[in-house]
Parts: sequence; C-alpha cells; structure tokens
Amino acid sequence: MGNALILKEIRNHLLSFRFVAVFALLLIIVPVTVLILTNDTIRKQDEFSRRQADIQNYLTQYAHFNRLGSVISPSQPPLPLQALVLGLSAAPRLDTFSNDPLPVLFPLIDLTFVLGILMSLAALIFSYDAISGEKEDGTLKLMLANGVPRAKVVLAKIVGGTVILWIPFLVSLAVGLIFLLLHPRISWTGSDWGALVMLLAGAFIYIGLFVGLGLLVSARHASSSSSILTCLFLWVLFVLVVPNLSPYVASLIRPAPSIIEVNRQIDQIEDKDRDDLGRKLSREKSEAVIKANPVLANVDRMSEPEVKAEIARNVDFARSYDLYRKENEAAWREANVIQGAKSKIIRADLALKEKAQTKFSVALSMVSPLAALTYLCADLTNSGAKNQAHFLTISRAFWDSYEAYMRPKMEEMRRANPTADVWNIPADVHDMPRFVYKEEPLSGRIKGVLVPLAVLFGMALGVFVAAVLSFNRTDAR
Amino acid sequence: MIKTIVRKEIAENLLSYKFFIVILLAAVLIFTSLFVMARDYRGRAADFQIIQPKPGEPIAVLPPNPLSIFAKGLEDSITRSYELSFIGIETRTGRSSTNNVFAFFPAPDFVYLVKVVLSLVALLFGFDRISREREAGTLKLTLANSVSRGTLLFGKWLGNLVSLAVPFFLITGIGLAVLHLNPSFRMPASGYGRLALILLLSLIYLALFLSLGLFISAITRRSATSLVVLLLIWALTVFVLPNTGTLIARQIVEVPSSRAITEKRNQIWTREILLAMSDRGHHMDHIRTLTGEIDQLEEGYRNKIDQLVRLAKTLNRISPAAGFVYTATEIAGTGIGEESRLKSDIVRYKTQVLDGGTLENNKAPVFHYTYRSIGDVMSAGGLFDFAWLLVFNVVFFAAGFVAFIRYDAR
Repeated sequence: MGNALILKEIRNHLLSFRFVAVFALLLIIVPVTVLILTNDTIRKQDEFSRRQADIQNYLTQYAHFNRLGSVISPSQPPLPLQALVLGLSAAPRLDTFSNDPLPVLFPLIDLTFVLGILMSLAALIFSYDAISGEKEDGTLKLMLANGVPRAKVVLAKIVGGTVILWIPFLVSLAVGLIFLLLHPRISWTGSDWGALVMLLAGAFIYIGLFVGLGLLVSARHASSSSSILTCLFLWVLFVLVVPNLSPYVASLIRPAPSIIEVNRQIDQIEDKDRDDLGRKLSREKSEAVIKANPVLANVDRMSEPEVKAEIARNVDFARSYDLYRKENEAAWREANVIQGAKSKIIRADLALKEKAQTKFSVALSMVSPLAALTYLCADLTNSGAKNQAHFLTISRAFWDSYEAYMRPKMEEMRRANPTADVWNIPADVHDMPRFVYKEEPLSGRIKGVLVPLAVLFGMALGVFVAAVLSFNRTDAR
Repeated sequence: MIKTIVRKEIAENLLSYKFFIVILLAAVLIFTSLFVMARDYRGRAADFQIIQPKPGEPIAVLPPNPLSIFAKGLEDSITRSYELSFIGIETRTGRSSTNNVFAFFPAPDFVYLVKVVLSLVALLFGFDRISREREAGTLKLTLANSVSRGTLLFGKWLGNLVSLAVPFFLITGIGLAVLHLNPSFRMPASGYGRLALILLLSLIYLALFLSLGLFISAITRRSATSLVVLLLIWALTVFVLPNTGTLIARQIVEVPSSRAITEKRNQIWTREILLAMSDRGHHMDHIRTLTGEIDQLEEGYRNKIDQLVRLAKTLNRISPAAGFVYTATEIAGTGIGEESRLKSDIVRYKTQVLDGGTLENNKAPVFHYTYRSIGDVMSAGGLFDFAWLLVFNVVFFAAGFVAFIRYDAR
C-alpha cells in the first residue's frame, strides 16, 4: 500500500507543470554554476602555483631572517571541492587595502545556494497543496475511504515529494559533474566523493523537511491559495531572514570589544608603557648596583669609548660594569614580562568574548534549517569555520618547526661570521621546512557536521510528527 | 470608472488573508531590521569615539554612516581604519571580523528586505489578479460592463500599488520614528533627502514586480501555474541573474586575488630591505624603489578592479535587483563608487603625508573626506538606474496589456 501511495505521488508530480519548470531551471543553473566554478578553481590553482614559484624565487635570491617570516606566511591552496561549494573561500576580505567589493553586494552562487534556496522553494511549491489540493479535488476522501492510515499517507507524500524533487536535481548535478570530472586538471579522491555523498545525505533531509513543512501547512489550511501564502511566509522567515539576523542579534547579546581598540591598547602596553616601566626598573636596579660598587659612581656620565677604556684599564671596574649591565638587561626583561602578561590578559579576554559570540551566533542561526545546511556543506568541503581552525592549527605547527629551524641556523651563521648582523644578511634556506596544507580527514569532518545534521534531522522529525497530528484532525470532506 | 476599479481592488485586498499575512511579514521584518541595524550602528559609533586617530597620526578613519542602517553595502570596508606606512596602507577592521557567521549570510538591512522579501510580496499582490477572477467568473461580469481592458488592467495595477505602497511607507515611517526615540541617533538633514530617494527607488522596484505579476497572470489560465512561473522568475531575478554579470566579467578581466597582492608586496619589501642593508649609502633610494613599486602594484590592482566592476555592473543590470542595489547603496553613501572614490582619496592622502615627510614625526595632516552629493551620485549612474527600472515597469505593463487584450475571459 505504501509503495502504491509513493508511486502515485511520483506519477502525479511527474506530469505536472511545476516539475517541468523546476527541471528546466535546475538543468540550466546547476551545470552552468559547476562549470563556472570549475574554471574558477582551476584559475585559482594556476595562480596558487605561480605564487608558490614566486616565493621560491625570492627565497633563493633575497632570503634573510629579518623578513623571511612574512614571505613564507602559509596560505590555503584552492581545493577541488570548491567547484561545488564556495563556503568562506569567497567571503569578502577586509584585511587588505586592495580588495574586491563585488561579493559583498552580490554573494556568488554555488551548490549550497541551489540546495538551500532554490530546492527548498521548489519543495514548498511541490507540497503546498498536497492535502488541501486533494481535498479541493475531492480525491482525499476517496483515498482515505480505502482504510489507509493517515500517518502512512503523510509519510508516502513526504517520501514521494522528496524523491521526485531529487530526480531533476541529481540529473542536473550529474551533468555538471561530467563537465567537472572530465576536466583533466581536476581529480577527486575517495574522501572528496565521501564528502559529496554526506553532503547529499544532509541535503536530502533538508529537502524532506521542506516537503514536510508544506504538507503540515497544507493540512492546516482549507484552501491551497492560503496554504501557499503561509508556506512562503515561513520560508522567507526561516530561509531568508533568520540566518542573516542571527550574527547581529548575537553581537548585541554577547558583545565583543573592537579589535582596533584592543590592538591600540596592546600597542600602548607593549610599547610606551613598557619603555616607561623598563626605564624605571633599570634606574632602580642600577642605582642599587652603583651604591654597592663605588667604582661605578660616574658610569652614567661616561661615554661609550670612555667606558671601554676604563674596562680595559681597571679590572675591578670591568667586573662591576658587567654586573651593572646584567642588572640593566634583567630590568628590561622584567618589564617585558610584566607588560607581556598584561597584554596577554587583554588578548585572551578578546578571544574569549569573540569565541562566545561566534558560538552563540551559530547556535542562534541554526533555528533556520538553511544555516544548518550551509554549515554542513561548508564544513564537509573544507571551506567552513572548521577548516579555518584546522588551517590555524597546522600553520602554528609550521611556525614552530620554522622556529626550531631558524635558531640553530642563525647560530651557525653567527659562528661562521661573528661580526655580521645575521638578521639582515643573505641566508641559504634551501633546507628550511615548507608549509604543506593537508585537508582534515573525512572522518573528522563528518564528526564536525554531526551537530547540523542532528539539527536537520530533529527538525524534519518534528515537522513530520506535526504534519501527522494536523492531518489526523483534517476534515477530509 | 478607474476610481471604482481601484477602490474595488483595495477593498478586496484589505479583506484578504494574503494582505494580512503579507503586511504582518513586512512589518515584523522591517521593524526587526531597523532595530538590529540601528543597534549595530550605535555600537560602531561608540567604537569610533575610541579608535579616532589622535592629531598627527597618519591614520584615516571615517565615522559610521547613519544611512548604513538602511543600506549596509560596503560600510564595513569604508569605515575601516586605514593606517599609513612607507610600505603602503594597512587596514584594520573593528568588530565582527572574526565572527564568521557574518560572512556566510548577507546583512539583513532595509535594502535587502526590499530586494528579496518585499519584491516577493509585490509578486504575491499581482500573481492572481486576472487568472483568479477568471476562475471565480467575475472577470467576464466586469468586462460585460462597458470598461476597456486597458482601463481595467491599469486600475488593477494602481489599486494594488496603492495597497502595497501605503502600508510600506507607513511601516517604514513608524520604524523611522521609533529610531528617533533614541536621543543618540542623529542624521544630517541631507540624510532624509537620501532616504526619501531610496524609498522612491524601492517603490519603483516593487511596482516592477507588480507589473510582472499582472503580466504573468494574464498569460496563464490558472493562478497556480502563474504562481509557479513567478516564483521561479523571482528566484532568477533576485539571486541568480545579479551574479551572471560578475561571473562573466571575471572570465574577461583577470583580477589577481588580494592574497597575491599581499605576497607580492612582502616580496618587494624583503628584496629592497636586503639590498638596502648591503648598500648602506643608498638606503633612501631603496626605500623609494620599495614605495614606488608597491604603489604601482596596488594601483594596477585597483585599475583591474575598476575595470571589472564597470563591466560587471553593466552586465548585472540585466536583473533589476542589481540596479536597485547599486543605486540604493550609492545614494546611502555605502556603494561601490563611493568606496573606490574613498580609496583614491586615501592614496592621495598617503602621497601627501609621505611627500611632506610627516610620517615619521607624527605630524600628519588630518584626513578629510566628504561623501558625494546626490547630484553626483545621480549623474554617475543613479539616474540611469532609475530610468532603467522604469523601463522594466513599462515593458512588463505593456506586455501585460497585450496579453490581457487577447485574454479569453471565459
């Protein structure tokens, strides 16, 4: 019986105008999007390898430790899955003067957009009259006269509606993927395919959720024309507005200090205040040393050559002067430590508040299924927040290994040439560690998307239960 | 006659479920958006008091723009802190730069609501105006009276526009009044003129979707079909088409990524510093080469971007939503044109500071920037967009008229 109901749904839709219209639209948009994004990815890959070559070139010619760090600063290579999901890789960058303003006004479209906005709208178009329409046609009472449980009808309609929506989507995606995979420069690994399958599984639940929502609304309305209005109302609210509002609302409830302000504070603490403190400490300490060692009585008024001459002449002076110098250095070290601790507290406070705000924004936005789907797609394809954190971790590891390489290397250079300023002379760095970006393994990514997946599933289940309950009370006449 | 038709349309709207739910949606969203964006603005205004450069600091920061409550546009980019140094211009952003949820979804400002939500509302006002009356049988009754089809169509258009525009202005007006209850909200007098222009542009944009709705309603027999067609056209117009121009333009004009520019800059810097160290006598020459090359690099990038933006803008106008957003943000002072003008002013400021030698001794002159006047915005493409949206209106209405004349009213 269940199969018969599902088949009936599928047949019903297959012949409808909306099916043809949605199919035509998807068949154009999905392959064109994939094609353009594929070209874009390849272009980005070309640029990336050019940039790597440039860096290599500079390293062989102009490497010196003073500015080496800024040249080898790690950067994220473009990934093959970005031909499907852009995620944060297309987000506007505000940290450089030269930036591209276009994506702020019109965010680029990708598979997330097609699934999140077009497909959810299509799902509602397919299901807004699933019950009210049958009631208007008079077929609903005939069907129920056959003794079919109402829950089964609802389930069959959701499954049938979701399956019929997936046919056009999967066909258009397949066309797009043919373009993508036939391209000689793009090669997908097993984990890329795994990510795609997981993504589609999440999207399947998402679409089922919207089909169920249409059904729920349809069961509560007497006429299809008011049912579609309520559907659109909910769709606009949850898909187009809630995700956009959530970070703003979150920043009102969990404010974080301005980064510019914090940076200025830190500059003040680590620069001006540190100098003041350092001078004060070194004065105190040197006064103590001078008191204990009368030979140093005039040291503050002596010029450098005079001090040198005095050291060569007077052994006692040399010993005391050494102590004096050490105490001075210790004073500045102490000042650095004290001020460093102060700025560390401010930095930690900023990081804590920012993290709390971001977490809250994410939680708030997940009231909308679109946000859950967006995070799911981005994190699975390594273009989301999780990948940013992952990138930061491996960059840190790289900097640590660089640090471990740099110190002995500079020591070695100092030994070879004791008078040289080893920061600012050419260095041979052919054996230095290189940054290699490694994607997070698929299992880790899947673990990361369990939350949005659970949210989607919970919502879908809730909508299904609500639809069954509403349909149970629907007057079929 | 036309008065009767308009009144009938308005009366019908007022009593319908559609009107109720649509106005509820518009009211909730506009109020929420204004409240949230105004709070965001106030937060940024408070930050500005702290981050303002001290006299002599070579830093350019603009105060936040009150109109960004309505059209956020590129405000985040415009109100960055631009800090000068001899290797170029460093930028720092204030709040919200690490909360990446901001980057996932566009800002829910007034312009976004009009572009996406209210355009859908306008479609819903128009989609079943003709096909439903045919289904209900009232169309033939109306036409049996001696009323021309043109008059009937225009009456319907006008009646629906009025029932859309009056609540729209009312809600916005109330929202604006509530904003003023907060004493810290201050907008210059010219701001109201700009806001009025944005509202006018919004109305033209919404009328266009109403005309489109009537047109599609006149070529379909059933209102359900008309709705499906309209929703798909709407999704294309609002989300997909405004991108095509950008995508095509990117295939034609190749622009390097901003990361590439940063890396290049660091490389030039590294090279010149190393050369300067081994060539102590000519230290300043190397600094000059360094500054010159970086300036050239950045200028080349900006030229490329300008070229890309010009092309993309022209192509994107295939969708009325693009024209609407461009001009609404330009009028508010948060548009692409304003941002690019500010950047050239900052580059000029940098030259002035470097040439005057005031960078090192912290005696830099204060940076001044005045936003373009409305006249400038209008002549730089704004007027064209107004006209362009009107053309869409006329075309859709004319198409609707032609379709309606041939419509079988039975």
